[in-house]
Amino acid sequence: MADGFMKHYSDDDLILYYYGEGRRRADIDRHLDACDTCAATYRDIAGTLAMIAAPDVPERGDQYGLEVWQRIRHRLPEQQRPWWSLWFTGERLVLAGAAAVLVLVAFIAGRWSPHQPGEAPTTATVAVSSDDAAASANVRRRVLLTSVADHLDRTERVLTDIMNAPERSDISTEQRWAADLVDASRLYRQDAIDAGEQSVANVLDDLERNLVEIVHSPSRISAADLEQIRRRIDAAALLFKVRVMSDELRRRDNAPDAPPQPRTSTRKIS
Amino acid sequence: MDATEAAAVLDRARQGDSEAFRVLVERHSRSVFRLAFRMTGNEQDAEDVVQESLLRAYKQLGRFESRANFGTWLYRIVANCSVDLMRAKQARHDQARGESLDAVIEMPAADTPGPERLAQSAEVERRVRDALAVLSPLERAAFTLRHYEGRSIEEISRTLGLGTSAAKHSVFRAVKKLRAALQPLRAH
Repeated sequence: MADGFMKHYSDDDLILYYYGEGRRRADIDRHLDACDTCAATYRDIAGTLAMIAAPDVPERGDQYGLEVWQRIRHRLPEQQRPWWSLWFTGERLVLAGAAAVLVLVAFIAGRWSPHQPGEAPTTATVAVSSDDAAASANVRRRVLLTSVADHLDRTERVLTDIMNAPERSDISTEQRWAADLVDASRLYRQDAIDAGEQSVANVLDDLERNLVEIVHSPSRISAADLEQIRRRIDAAALLFKVRVMSDELRRRDNAPDAPPQPRTSTRKIS
Repeated sequence: MDATEAAAVLDRARQGDSEAFRVLVERHSRSVFRLAFRMTGNEQDAEDVVQESLLRAYKQLGRFESRANFGTWLYRIVANCSVDLMRAKQARHDQARGESLDAVIEMPAADTPGPERLAQSAEVERRVRDALAVLSPLERAAFTLRHYEGRSIEEISRTLGLGTSAAKHSVFRAVKKLRAALQPLRAH
């Protein structure tokens, strides 16, 4: 076959071929039989690579592991723990249990204390019910504020991890956390809307969109994709909003007399 | 040590039990050294990588997923520690590097020696060592994993945390440089 009509393979194709990789291996096989140019290049590549033998690794005796251990045993660093594991230890577990009980109590109180349509309650009943309802709403709001503040803290950690992730890193762990947070975020957002906490709902909505973005990115993220996510988080001032909102919720939760009516502020935090 | 026992040791080490980690160190140190030596080509550097990798592994053990294979996970840490160490060395010797490849390429082949084959083999070894020394850390790591360790491009990309294309091109660049450096020997 005339050389001018023949498609030659690149050095890169031939390197992959040498290592048993790459597609079109059968084509390359046939081509090397027919094409002197590529056959010569392949001989050169294969000849060079065949010269490079694995170096002899110096022997290490049976006690080597023990020697290494002796060298490092006093330098063992503190182990890193995934942040979420901190929520499943000791005191936090007790606190989580207490919060769950509180939610249950608030739920039951919410179920029983509201008005019963169709009945004309006595004045005394109205007064008691009204007080109970207000107290119950207050408890529910406090539970919501605490839960959302905790949720914001967890979200902040994931966002911080993403902002500080090294390039070319595997973010699959952060994606799993983000996926869990998206689900929780939706529930909290709905609760916030129901409670008239529109500014909380707005921040949760912002968060949700960015978390979904993270969840749907490739796990082994490219530098460019990572940069894009970071820019989006930066542009939305998301970390700042999360911190401010979390602080505000905790401040309100710690206030001695929480307002009886839900806040309906739609003030933008930026 | 059977699989159940190994899993139990690993689990204890993950909880911060240093005695359990000692068992892992004793079990894996030799294979860690083997890879570190191939990656760095230098005994002292390999020893440094062994220690650094195991300390890094201990630190990150709490985040290791027990479903994964500890050996594979440690292999990645060692490969990346080696790259880090080579990068640090490269930064220290950066000035000399630019000229090194040319120097290796232009290095004359040894005069025809007496016991020809032996001398040629020593000459090849010297040139290969010198040529490997002037590859970039990533090129060297990718080439070592492909050529000495027999890892596929896909595995190299996972091990070094690179895209497949970047892993592939690191190997291509390494082979290109090695061909150039060893060309004088091939011509003889």
